[in-house]
Amino acid sequence: MLEHVVNGLVLGGTYALVAMGLTIQYGIARIMNLSFGDTIIAACFATYVLFTSLSISPILALLILVPSGYALSNVVYRVIMKPLVARAPDEGALEVDSILVTFGLLFVIQGILLYLFGGGYTSYSFFNTPINVLGTVVAGNRLLALVLSLMIGAALVIILFRTRWGMILRAVALAPKSAPLFGIDTDRAARTAFAIGGAIAATGGVVISMFQTFTATAGVVFTMKALIVVILGGKGSVPGAIVAGLLLGLVETFVAAYVDPGLTLAAVYTVFLLLLLVRPNGIFGKA
Amino acid sequence: MLELKNMTVRYGKHLAVDAVGFGLTKGEVVVVLGANGAGKSSMLKAIAGMIPVADGSVTLDGDLLTGVPAHQVTNRGIALVPEGRGVVGRMTVEENLRLGATPSRARASEDETIAQVFDIFPRLAERRRQFVHTMSGGEQQMVAVGRAMMSKPDFLLLDEPSLGLAPIVVGDLFKALARVRETGVGLLIVEQNVKISLRHADRGYLLEAGRITGSGTSEELMNDAAVRHAFLGGDI
Repeated sequence: MLEHVVNGLVLGGTYALVAMGLTIQYGIARIMNLSFGDTIIAACFATYVLFTSLSISPILALLILVPSGYALSNVVYRVIMKPLVARAPDEGALEVDSILVTFGLLFVIQGILLYLFGGGYTSYSFFNTPINVLGTVVAGNRLLALVLSLMIGAALVIILFRTRWGMILRAVALAPKSAPLFGIDTDRAARTAFAIGGAIAATGGVVISMFQTFTATAGVVFTMKALIVVILGGKGSVPGAIVAGLLLGLVETFVAAYVDPGLTLAAVYTVFLLLLLVRPNGIFGKA
Repeated sequence: MLELKNMTVRYGKHLAVDAVGFGLTKGEVVVVLGANGAGKSSMLKAIAGMIPVADGSVTLDGDLLTGVPAHQVTNRGIALVPEGRGVVGRMTVEENLRLGATPSRARASEDETIAQVFDIFPRLAERRRQFVHTMSGGEQQMVAVGRAMMSKPDFLLLDEPSLGLAPIVVGDLFKALARVRETGVGLLIVEQNVKISLRHADRGYLLEAGRITGSGTSEELMNDAAVRHAFLGGDI
């Protein structure tokens, strides 16, 4: 029982983490990024390469891949997204355009990964030491994944709610039209938010690769789950993403353990539908 | 000095502001009177860089503001309190005010300015932790003016600050604006509420269908037949 709680929290922690990235990109930059999961998978493979061929531990890989995720997403925003933002007559148009473009980007990233690594399942063994947590044995890498997710998630919440930088990003999310009157450069804020999202995706990739097998085509699953978490939590809500992510991880783990592993996705969608019937704008959503 | 020369604003083929020209200096209160659709809001938005100027120019102390993006206009010293107030409802009073000090020109004096805002609007000091969307219209307007003051403007542009407020609240607001003016800020107010705005202004202009059709000191305008006819129902 406790074992499933811990495993559920580990899985949920990573869901919460990556969903935070997606919700920041969507809430602040107004871009629904369908290639988000593929960014995660790219980071998984990058960690794998760094670890297996250069013996760089995933922890150190974070120091390389997180800034890379930030920088690359910044470039993607400047080159691909900025023209869309510039020509979009309104927010709805930008949403549709960004969905189409990132849908294309998804296949570009996936294609590159398939070319480089093939379609097979990939994994590596890192910090597989069994650790005793309150009487249950958990793999060290899972525990590390949970701790990292929580730490990075907490850091993000502190940045968003306790710093001027975060305040500016939140203001752009809450009142995009008024933000320039506050002297806020909304274009820069959107670029920063998109890049932070990319950095979080990279973090998620490193963390997930430590305890899960992954394939070049698994990005879609991560995008979908992150999307479910974002909508469940309330669009643009970081606390909502955390709660919904943990909930989703627990539901998946418990259904896999006590019902049938094949029913996890069905269970996730059931929870998703039921919660949305009660709270159409998500757990922390605003009407 | 803030100066408009032949400033023209277009929405497609529609001419919203037609070759408007006037200026105001720091510490001065100028009111632009006009009915709905006269182009008052478009004029202010164009000065603030929120919408493009089709023709003519806006200059601040001789520097061209036309074509400068809105967030940079704020940093040059122009603060707009738009129609609908432009506050972030789902943030607290203090967050809105601190956010108002985002321009680099305002950073150093942030704490000093916030004390000044609280001095002019004691109500905001009492409610600093309250979410703005839960406040009354008059209080939200105080937040909006306070937020604009936080950017350390040379000129404050106000789009119908009295709209939707009870007369007594309007009176308090204009008294507060008089104190803002005492700090050396120039105020450009567009209004339909002729009586109270002229009482607090030095001079004014009439805007009709995007064109300036009259001007004068507040006293002159108050006694002007056209103003009385258009805005005050014939007599005061």
